Amino acid sequence: MNNYLEVKNLSKSFDNFRLHDISFTLPKGYIMGLIGPNGSGKTTTIKLILNMLKRTEGEVKILGLDNIADEQAAKKSLGVVFDSNYFSDDWKVSQVEKSVSVFYENWNTQRFSELLDKFHISPAKKVKELSKGMQMKLMIACAFSYDAKLLILDEPTSGLDPVSRDELLHILSEYIEDGEHSVLFSTHITGDLERAADYITYISYGELFFSGGKDEFVDSFRIVKGGREELSDDLGKKAFGIRDFATGFEALIKTEDIKLFAHLNVEPATIDDIVVFTSKRGEQYE
Amino acid sequence: MSNILKSVKLDFSLVRPYVKTICFTMVLPAVFAAINRSLLTGISFAMCFIAMTSGYTFSITEKNDMERLYSILPVRKSELVVGRYAFSIIMGLLALIFSLITHPVILSSLGETVSTFDIACAAAVGIFLFALYTVFQLPGYYKFGSIKGRVFMYIPVAGFLATLFLITKIPADNSGWLITVLSSPVLVLLAAVLVVIMYVISILVSVKIVQGKEL
Repeated sequence: MNNYLEVKNLSKSFDNFRLHDISFTLPKGYIMGLIGPNGSGKTTTIKLILNMLKRTEGEVKILGLDNIADEQAAKKSLGVVFDSNYFSDDWKVSQVEKSVSVFYENWNTQRFSELLDKFHISPAKKVKELSKGMQMKLMIACAFSYDAKLLILDEPTSGLDPVSRDELLHILSEYIEDGEHSVLFSTHITGDLERAADYITYISYGELFFSGGKDEFVDSFRIVKGGREELSDDLGKKAFGIRDFATGFEALIKTEDIKLFAHLNVEPATIDDIVVFTSKRGEQYE
Repeated sequence: MSNILKSVKLDFSLVRPYVKTICFTMVLPAVFAAINRSLLTGISFAMCFIAMTSGYTFSITEKNDMERLYSILPVRKSELVVGRYAFSIIMGLLALIFSLITHPVILSSLGETVSTFDIACAAAVGIFLFALYTVFQLPGYYKFGSIKGRVFMYIPVAGFLATLFLITKIPADNSGWLITVLSSPVLVLLAAVLVVIMYVISILVSVKIVQGKEL
């Protein structure tokens, strides 16, 4: 099996929001970043994958297993980390293991102890005594202890200080090194993706904007800059967004359109640029 | 280990930090039984108290947002529900056994006569009352959560007060009908069947609620 996660035409309707026709594939051995502005549908997508929400349409396969029909089997190989701890605050770390390990036949106690040592987590500490970063690592230690093949993280880096974020990204990179594990993590901190992600799935306003390789994503766009007098209607039509300053402008365009604006300064776009400009849906703003 | 037993174990680990509090609540009914010199009221009180603690698992889950943990475990939702019912019943039985041992001892030390039949009657009433309370409480907690569904915590209190009221209405010399009822194997069997049916319906309702829930 080459794909650890397959999402096809996934849709979910709420009264005031609709996630529509989301499709993407995460191959074995890679990290995918799920990005988009707040409220774009990242968490909804993850909840649909985990069957925490009922989909309106579509299909989700986790390690080749349907996420609803084969939910139990699929979840045996799935690790999940949310943006906040999901264990009882009153549990000691050792109690976390006792409570969770029974659910996984391949739980490795020695591995759990090693991970606690590596992450500097004392088994005698209560969950509520751990910092947010430590709680995140505890959730990861649990997932690694039953050798979860696919790790899904929902906004894991939000609320973490730069050191903890760096450590977390390092842990994820190590995790996929053997080529047998994959990671899907949602974030709006695009700097994390520049460093760790191999693939990007970008959801904007409930719609899939892009899904594919990170380099392909970044290479697909360019930033053009120029004086205000160089801002033309043609550029307005082609640009995904224009930032208008007193002294000039900058706009995001498709790389294939560069030739049309060869007279302007062209620079590579960052993931941040792409998200910010495309989130404005081509509207001009200052 | 079956998934239901694993769920029971998980629920036990949730309330583990509160075991001392729960044990303490079992002392009060013993005192109550001593003051009233009545095994039946003591047992009724004990079952009321332990039924009230059935909301602990829901409160702890809600406080810690642990629905997310339950949703990622490789267990069916129905197994988690049955596990919680099993845990609640185990707690009820433990409380009943504790009370059936301690209350007669206390009452005997106070000079009251407690026969085996009295104990059997108290056990039957205790089981029935506990079942009656929890079959309504648990679906209520599943539907509304422990905070919005706090009103369900008071079902046992209402039930206990009603029981107390009924007991005082039975003249001491006219309790023959109760003895007749409780000494009739057919009626006791019917009550047992009723308890089982109530639990089955309650579990089915709870499973439906949980399966329909979105997080």
